[in-house]
Amino acid sequence: MAQITAGISSSHVPAIGAAVDLGKTEEDYWVPAFAGFDWTKEWIMKPENKPDVVILVYNDHASAFDMNLIPTFAIGCADEFQPADEGWGPRPVPTVKNHADLAWHIAQSCILDEFDMTIINKMDVDHGLTVPLSLMFGQPDAWPCKIIPLAVNVVTYPPPSGNRCYNLGRAIRDAVESFPEDLKVQVWGTGGMSHQLQGTRAGLINKEWDTAFLDDLTKDPERLRKMPHIEYLREAGSEGIELVMWLIMRGALGDKVKELHRHYHVAASNTALGHIVLEPVE
Amino acid sequence: MKQDIHEYLAEFDDIPGTRVYTTKRARQGYWINQFAMSLMKEENRKAWLENEEKYLEGWPKLTPEQKQALLDRDYDKLLDLGGNIYFLAKVFSTDGKSYLQAVSTMTGMSVDEYRDMMLSGGRSPEGLRSKSKGY
Repeated sequence: MAQITAGISSSHVPAIGAAVDLGKTEEDYWVPAFAGFDWTKEWIMKPENKPDVVILVYNDHASAFDMNLIPTFAIGCADEFQPADEGWGPRPVPTVKNHADLAWHIAQSCILDEFDMTIINKMDVDHGLTVPLSLMFGQPDAWPCKIIPLAVNVVTYPPPSGNRCYNLGRAIRDAVESFPEDLKVQVWGTGGMSHQLQGTRAGLINKEWDTAFLDDLTKDPERLRKMPHIEYLREAGSEGIELVMWLIMRGALGDKVKELHRHYHVAASNTALGHIVLEPVE
Repeated sequence: MKQDIHEYLAEFDDIPGTRVYTTKRARQGYWINQFAMSLMKEENRKAWLENEEKYLEGWPKLTPEQKQALLDRDYDKLLDLGGNIYFLAKVFSTDGKSYLQAVSTMTGMSVDEYRDMMLSGGRSPEGLRSKSKGY
């Protein structure tokens, strides 16, 4: 049977993608940002850790979805997805290959579990999905695993509550564990941490709050589940709300988790860059 | 668990220097954001940069105020008129500008001052969480 073997979270700052694509990762500005991913890059390629499939939770930044269609939870079910042209041409990264059988299985299972997923076939994937892949896998000719895109609306209010995200993670876990193929499946939650990209409060960073969020993924996920949107907005900036997506990852790991690795760096462009690797504890 | 929607929305207005992208803003800014989406195609970017006013003629539902704000690249104004930053990113990307460059224009700081602030830890939330409670 398929199993959830680990959860990874990471910010998905577009400038990180640009730094990788333009060969700037050795520049002074970027060295400390990328250094915190060295551990994960090595860990993830060891045979016992390497995922067969990653369920990659991210938000579309007005690339696949415009103002005509705003799905709260959309799961990509086509065989492959191309990198999106976000206004400066598509990123030069590999095509994203899906595990479509598992994706359709998750869609069906979650709908029966009362999560009314939107199923999407034709979709280009933007930096929200491709930047975490670059951070974890570098610049290979092909991504080393299958990837199921799961897009969450965190742009138009209200986005889903943290609790709803956590519970979707649990439903995804049940779906994965009822899939007959032997697969190592990771769930990645992306976006955040504190950042604000607008107005006179732009540039807001809250290290203390971010640190507590990272701590409580292990120590007190119940606090995070109950956190209202207004707290994210006040404490982590208007774009910090992306952190609800990390709770889908956390919900998919079961009650107890062990923290394997963490990285936090200010600033990557406008954003507090956060990264964590968690493992379920039976 | 369900929150009262009126109380939920009212709290957003209590955050200093922030416009939360509610459905009200999404409706007001529909054409700004759809215009911005058109710049995801290379041929449209070219046409826009060649003759911006002519390109805007293809978007008759934009108000004169919205058109002027687009021509001026006045991102603060565009947010007031219902624009969303992720959509507006297509406009500044077409100009070859980064998020950091575009976002800094809304803060009253120069790009260099803003970049330096970010490198030294970013803007503190102290005093910027709530207008009414001042914390």
